Amino acid sequence: MTAFAGCPGDTGAGRRAGDAPPVITDLIDEETVQSIAEEAWSALVGEDELLVPLPGGSPEDALSAWVEIVGPWTGTVVLTCARSTAEELSGCLLRNHAPRVLDREDIEDALGELANVVGGNVKAVLPGPCVLGLPEVGSAPEAPLPADVCRVDLLWRGQSLTISVQGAAGALPDPYENNQNEVPL
Amino acid sequence: MGARGRRPQLRLPPDEGELTVRALVIDDSRVMRLIIAGILEDLGYEVRQAGHGREGLDVLDGGWIPDLVCVDWNMPVMDGLQFVSAARSNPAWRSLTIMMVTSESEHGQIVRALAAGAHEYVIKPFTADAIRGKLALLGLLPEEVVL
Repeated sequence: MTAFAGCPGDTGAGRRAGDAPPVITDLIDEETVQSIAEEAWSALVGEDELLVPLPGGSPEDALSAWVEIVGPWTGTVVLTCARSTAEELSGCLLRNHAPRVLDREDIEDALGELANVVGGNVKAVLPGPCVLGLPEVGSAPEAPLPADVCRVDLLWRGQSLTISVQGAAGALPDPYENNQNEVPL
Repeated sequence: MGARGRRPQLRLPPDEGELTVRALVIDDSRVMRLIIAGILEDLGYEVRQAGHGREGLDVLDGGWIPDLVCVDWNMPVMDGLQFVSAARSNPAWRSLTIMMVTSESEHGQIVRALAAGAHEYVIKPFTADAIRGKLALLGLLPEEVVL
């Protein structure tokens, strides 16, 4: 896994209470996110399964799974791909243990578990303490602050797959907050 | 991480006449339960599944006592740490070997789980070989399986 300066072991204790919360790009980079995803793919999807760092465009029938991280940095880790890609991933995860017919619940559960594994390992390199939420599946939550997003576009078996580590709405301070008591000129 | 290894209490099913080892897999993800159960069944385990810690305790309360419990950490209703604490508080279940299988990978979390009474800790993502390796450390690998 790619290491990055300052994060592992950073308890956040050195920051002052009034400090602005960090943005995700200060805490983790694309290479680290991709490295985490590659490790998850290799172990769970298949030893020879490759994730190629190329954008594949937005799938029409997109399905997203995400987990929330709450801590000094608060946001979500979102995994998005086409539903057909999620179905193929589910089959790979289960291999010879797959039921004869994969139902919708299994497909969403599999994508949720991949998001959970990626999210758990993202959480491990963020300043702590952090709490990891349970996986959710559906339409991708919006990233309210473009500056607080670390996004990796990948191809798996030629199919688009996006991992976005994105801050939650309200996680950053209102830039006008300190001006509210100013006397107008 | 120090595994408190011991030999499993092998059971003799009345019908089949073969030694079996029992495992309970507790995870809120059905897919993850199937993956872990599949690995264990391939090793010769008899496996039951539960969707959260409370369901896991219900299985134990029902009298089905496994040799091994594989339990996730983050689950609804009752999480893995609560399950470990509850299982360890019952003297009748003292023989259980508990292995946490979770995406919680920080050192502090591992220490908490082991302090609560888990014997081993597997971080997701894992491979079948990683599970087999942990079972070997715990002395819970059926002898006919060669690593």
